[in-house]
Amino acid sequence: MSANGFDRTEVLGKVRDHLSTELEVPIGEISESTRFRDDLDADSLDLYELVMELEDTYGISVSEEEAAGIETVGQAVDFVAERLGAST
Amino acid sequence: MTRVALDGHGAERGAEAIIAGARAAAADGISLRVFGDPSALGPIRDVEGAELVAAADEITNDEEPVAAVRSRPEASVVMAARDVAEGRSEALASAGPTGATMTAALFALRRMHGVRRPALALQLIVPGREAPPSLLLDVGANTEARAVDLVQFAYLGAAFSEAVLGVERPRVALVSVGVEEKKGSPGVVEAHARLAAAPGIDFRGNIEGRDVLRGAADVIVTDGFTGNVVLKTVEGTAKAVADAVRAAARSGPRATLGGALLRPSLAALRRRLDPDTTGGAILLGLRGVAVVGHGSSGPAGIANAVRLAARAASERAVDRTAELVGRSGMTRGAMRDRRSPVIEA
Repeated sequence: MSANGFDRTEVLGKVRDHLSTELEVPIGEISESTRFRDDLDADSLDLYELVMELEDTYGISVSEEEAAGIETVGQAVDFVAERLGAST
Repeated sequence: MTRVALDGHGAERGAEAIIAGARAAAADGISLRVFGDPSALGPIRDVEGAELVAAADEITNDEEPVAAVRSRPEASVVMAARDVAEGRSEALASAGPTGATMTAALFALRRMHGVRRPALALQLIVPGREAPPSLLLDVGANTEARAVDLVQFAYLGAAFSEAVLGVERPRVALVSVGVEEKKGSPGVVEAHARLAAAPGIDFRGNIEGRDVLRGAADVIVTDGFTGNVVLKTVEGTAKAVADAVRAAARSGPRATLGGALLRPSLAALRRRLDPDTTGGAILLGLRGVAVVGHGSSGPAGIANAVRLAARAASERAVDRTAELVGRSGMTRGAMRDRRSPVIEA
């Protein structure tokens, strides 16, 4: 857990919950290696919504270029954790 | 009293059209929060039922909508959309750039649960028919659409037609290149097969482009690329025919006399077909109401965009759409799991 109270597990849970709810995919099918486009059939709109959810929840900012480079659930979690200074 | 958040920027006919449109809508008992430049929209303060919210920043047509909306939280259309998302207003209306309005609405209001792609729906007045307008969707939100999107568009349109336009059990049709079920692109053929077996809507099959203005269906479903081409073709044809009629009516003394006799009827028809009459398109499939007015809207167009937004909110169009989509099992997750019908080219 980082000094600001977040840890990687919590971020991963948040991402999995969001994707499961919005894409209507069983949460058990979403792991760190899950690819947004190939495995979840998510499109750019889905990714923007995830990014905005993370921005709102954790008070971070994600640029267009950074968002475009996130391809897996694990990469999304790494990105947020890094911004928060969370332990991995 | 329904409260509408109105974007005070972006109307090609300027602040005067916004002010006059807001005044007309407020006179109908609609409450407004108008987001724009106080130095241009000052008279709004004198309109009973309208409140002016300072928003000097404006997103223009030249900007990339996603980047602009994400980076400019103080832009008028972004503030207006947020006003709806946060519950201070019940619906959004804007005559600003279509891309910015759709993006702001999409990001602030979010997609309805289970809907993959929202669609832009426009009312088409059917000449010579007094019945409610037909609804054409998508007219440009998505240039490409999958079969499951077309199926969802059918439900979005049917729910709106019933809730807001007052059509009982709307007839739904799919635009294709022939009425036979196997005609069209693979996506259209698949959508036809899915809709033919779909519960809760009255699917009447395919229609061709020439049937769009003949009242053959209450809800006309297509992808955003085709829908936009259809729409612009209809508008262009109507203008070309009107110009030809005008020229014919001036072609000689006898024609001029006939033209003079027809003028009142033609003027009434022109008013009915004027894009300002419907107030613009509505973005369906969101968790809130968003109306995208014509950029060239005059006061009547602005007022009608606000009225359309207010009516959609007061008739609970969003809730009723969600109920229909959920009840029919047409959410994206449920359709993903369902086997696609066999497609024959």
